[in-house]
Amino acid sequence: MTTARAATILLGKELQLEFRTRELLTTTVIFALVVVVLFSFAFEPTAAESRRYGPGLLWIAFLFAGSLMLNPSFAREQANETLDALRMAPIAPFAILLGKMLANFIFLAMAEAILVPVFAVLYNVSFSGVAGRLIFVLALGTFGLVITGTVFSAISAHARMRELLLPLLLLPILTPLLIASVEATASLLVDQPELDRTWVAFLAGFDIVFLTASWLMCDYLLEE
Amino acid sequence: MKNFESLFAAWMVVWAVFFLYEVTVARRLSKLQEDIERLKQQLREG
Amino acid sequence: MKGRIALAFAAAALMVFAGYAALYIAPDEKTMHAIQRIFYFHVPSAICAFVAFFVVFIANFAYLGTRQQKWDWLGVAGAEVGVACSTIVLITGPIWAHPVWGVWWTWDARLTSTFVLWLLYTAYLLLRGFLEDPQRKATFSAVFGIFAFLDVPLVYFSNRLWRTQHPQPVILGGSNSGLDPMMGKVLLISFVGVLCLMAMLIADRYRLERLRWEYEELRFRAESRAAEEGAKAPRAAAEMR
Repeated sequence: MTTARAATILLGKELQLEFRTRELLTTTVIFALVVVVLFSFAFEPTAAESRRYGPGLLWIAFLFAGSLMLNPSFAREQANETLDALRMAPIAPFAILLGKMLANFIFLAMAEAILVPVFAVLYNVSFSGVAGRLIFVLALGTFGLVITGTVFSAISAHARMRELLLPLLLLPILTPLLIASVEATASLLVDQPELDRTWVAFLAGFDIVFLTASWLMCDYLLEE
Repeated sequence: MKNFESLFAAWMVVWAVFFLYEVTVARRLSKLQEDIERLKQQLREG
Repeated sequence: MKGRIALAFAAAALMVFAGYAALYIAPDEKTMHAIQRIFYFHVPSAICAFVAFFVVFIANFAYLGTRQQKWDWLGVAGAEVGVACSTIVLITGPIWAHPVWGVWWTWDARLTSTFVLWLLYTAYLLLRGFLEDPQRKATFSAVFGIFAFLDVPLVYFSNRLWRTQHPQPVILGGSNSGLDPMMGKVLLISFVGVLCLMAMLIADRYRLERLRWEYEELRFRAESRAAEEGAKAPRAAAEMR
């Protein structure tokens, strides 16, 4: 079985599992909403300020929500030692990792799909005219988040204090991604919105570097 | 020299960080060496 | 043994000489006067932090490739010393900035990047603390270490790109503009001194880790020997009856 096919099947399994209870999705969305509301207490959201601080707020909300959401990715496998079963299946180890990465991407993307409109309404920020480009930037940033987050979920699943450890490992690594995503998003909110090519290229580079690194080191991540 | 106190503070920080680190490592090293000698002795006798 | 003593002596001598040179030999800077001399330890510490983290990267790579425990020892040694050097950079930076600019901290590219670096490798050390199984600890921290080092150029690059969009005061005018040759020489002496000191600290910390491993092995042998003898005694007693 090719890696792609195995990953797709595993992705289907992850989605099926999640949609049975939808608890991860709902909690992630609610948590991100809480963060977005909290920010309104931190500064007085006038239109100009919202456009200036908006992108940063949004991405911080995604980072926090993402860090919490990524934990169960591998932690869930521990209860019934299902990871051993996956390992013994005749599939490439990277398929397991990739399947989870794609599943996490979809979950986070769904959360973002709800959050961005809510944010736009609450802070009076208009995304009209840039929706397509915004989705592109969101996708690139989210993908980077999910790649590194899934890898670190595999690492922290075996550690003590994993709920605290995962953000601790993830957030410093993601600072370049945060800068790039915020700047790329911000460039879409100015009067003459234009997709900032430098930052988009940077995001793509970030994703490629860490996807490759995950692929090269996946055996070590999934060993007994 | 102007601002000499700040320079002195910085120099103290540099010295302190390196020195304290070396001291903690050296202390643990000598304690470990003692413990190892003790264990080796124990294994020889036993 | 001789090598270690020689290294310790070289490090101490160089650091003392560098201190003297930084204070008396180096020429006085026009605008900042005495405080500028922090530069002679701030910059070498920053470079040595990076060198130490590079050592960690090599060690991580080597561990994953060979599975020899000694690379894990080198990794933790390099990370701790790197964090120590970064701490020095992060403390001397504000000490310099306050009299010169009136602010303790500025989010310029270099200081911010150093801060992130400090966080990354502190996370590396904390990760090790939370993993219990020694092999898993070594493997997983090696993976994280490699990710962290791959992130380093990205951190620097993204910060620089970001900060050129929002211009900040130029830090340490002496390092951007042409450097007075005498300043350069003092900087070099200081750099070699800090480098020797760094090497000495890594070597000692490595040795500590190696001895810990030896201690655990000895302890295991002693305990299993005691368990064996504990099991033998009742059998011997039974045979005697």
